[in-house]
Amino acid sequence: MTLPRELAETIIDPKAYAQRDLADAAFRTIRATAPLDRAEPEGFNPFWVVSRHADIKDIERQPDLFHNGDRSTFLSDRTGEETNRALTGGEPNLIRSLVSVDGKEHRDLRGVVFPHVTPRAIKPLEDQIRVIAREFVDHMLSFGGECDFAVDVAFLYPLRVIMTVLGVPQEDEPFMLKLTQELFNNADPELNRARRELSREDMLKSLWETTMELEDYFASVTKRFRENPTDQINSLIANAKIDGQYLNHRQMMGYYIIAATAGHDTTSNTTGGAMWALAERPHLLARMKANPERISGFVEESIRWETPVKHFMRSAVADTEISGRAISAGDWLMLSYQSGNRDEAVWDDPFEFRIDRETNPQIAFGYGVHVCLGQHLARMEMRILWEELFARIGSVEMNGEGQRTISNFVCGPKHVPIRFTAQ
Amino acid sequence: MADGLRQWRCRNCGFIYDEALGLPDEGIAPGTRFEDIPDDWYCPDCGTEKPDFDLLT
Repeated sequence: MTLPRELAETIIDPKAYAQRDLADAAFRTIRATAPLDRAEPEGFNPFWVVSRHADIKDIERQPDLFHNGDRSTFLSDRTGEETNRALTGGEPNLIRSLVSVDGKEHRDLRGVVFPHVTPRAIKPLEDQIRVIAREFVDHMLSFGGECDFAVDVAFLYPLRVIMTVLGVPQEDEPFMLKLTQELFNNADPELNRARRELSREDMLKSLWETTMELEDYFASVTKRFRENPTDQINSLIANAKIDGQYLNHRQMMGYYIIAATAGHDTTSNTTGGAMWALAERPHLLARMKANPERISGFVEESIRWETPVKHFMRSAVADTEISGRAISAGDWLMLSYQSGNRDEAVWDDPFEFRIDRETNPQIAFGYGVHVCLGQHLARMEMRILWEELFARIGSVEMNGEGQRTISNFVCGPKHVPIRFTAQ
Repeated sequence: MADGLRQWRCRNCGFIYDEALGLPDEGIAPGTRFEDIPDDWYCPDCGTEKPDFDLLT
């Protein structure tokens, strides 16, 4: 069986994610009628759409059977796959980062940073992050009752946190934000490099130019941290040795780039989405202020709700079976986290934003050995921001229409206009 | 599973600590009860701490 063309075209369409209901409706139908089926949209190599929570986890817990790095790690059309290989000398991904490598290479690379981002390791950062959170709450309040929470707070606060942890100077933050948005929002004329609608060919060119600009920037970072090592993440990457050798150029650039881009964009999207949810539910702020112990539930639900990484791709290494469907060696699979996090088999009311779920096994960070390296930092920085913000505002509501980024990969709200009162 | 020995699953990444197998690479001998693992131990795959492991039944 093959997914109906209309459904397949919808779930790859960046504009469907900009109007989230469209993507959600398509995935709801897919989960009910064809939860694990092949899609063959025009211009793309065929791929399986994995829509159920259980199937996504099943695949993610078998990293030796389902590889990240044999094919493109995110959905690319045929031309994109061919271009990536041509530009990189045969590799399927433009950037060789943690999300696009497997096995020993993945374990070794992950091990460079992992001990420094466990809950215990990041605990000492709490006071420093709280100072940053307070600065951004002050910044928000300085607008006097109206702001675009996405642009004025959500894009900036996680950026400041991660750049501090990485060791990127504050004056470089606008540059990093711009290039991150170019990298992830290529289909959005408001945020992409050209600031206009691009053909698929131009999108690839633009992506390559952004990648090269990031590599130029990080070339000097390696030199600086090898001369003067610190305990910041970029210094760990610059000075790491695996089997006695520094990381090679593509590994090092991939590490810098993913840490400096995915390290804040995902949290920004989740934070913007949480404020949007809050502003549409007048009772929720009062409830959070009265029940501060619910903050972890609020953060976890906002991660599920927004699910900023919409999908990753895997490819099967050998013939196998998932939920009774035969998967052949070489098959390409789209793990839809957005769908998995709305799975009716896991949540009775997946389209409700609820802070009092007894369990919330959301998979927005992925699952298995590739689970997000920065998940604990992301949770901590969001918790701190909301603790500070809930204490300082008395009311919040939407002040116009919110807007989502046009993207099918890493995306979320790009405008969240709100009206609020200070406490 | 050996008699009376249990398995515990990490809530965030699904890593399973099997008491029968222990984690010899981390100095945790086969047969070590989850309760007897040091409190500062964390999930080797994702860093999640002991309270966020669930008993598999």
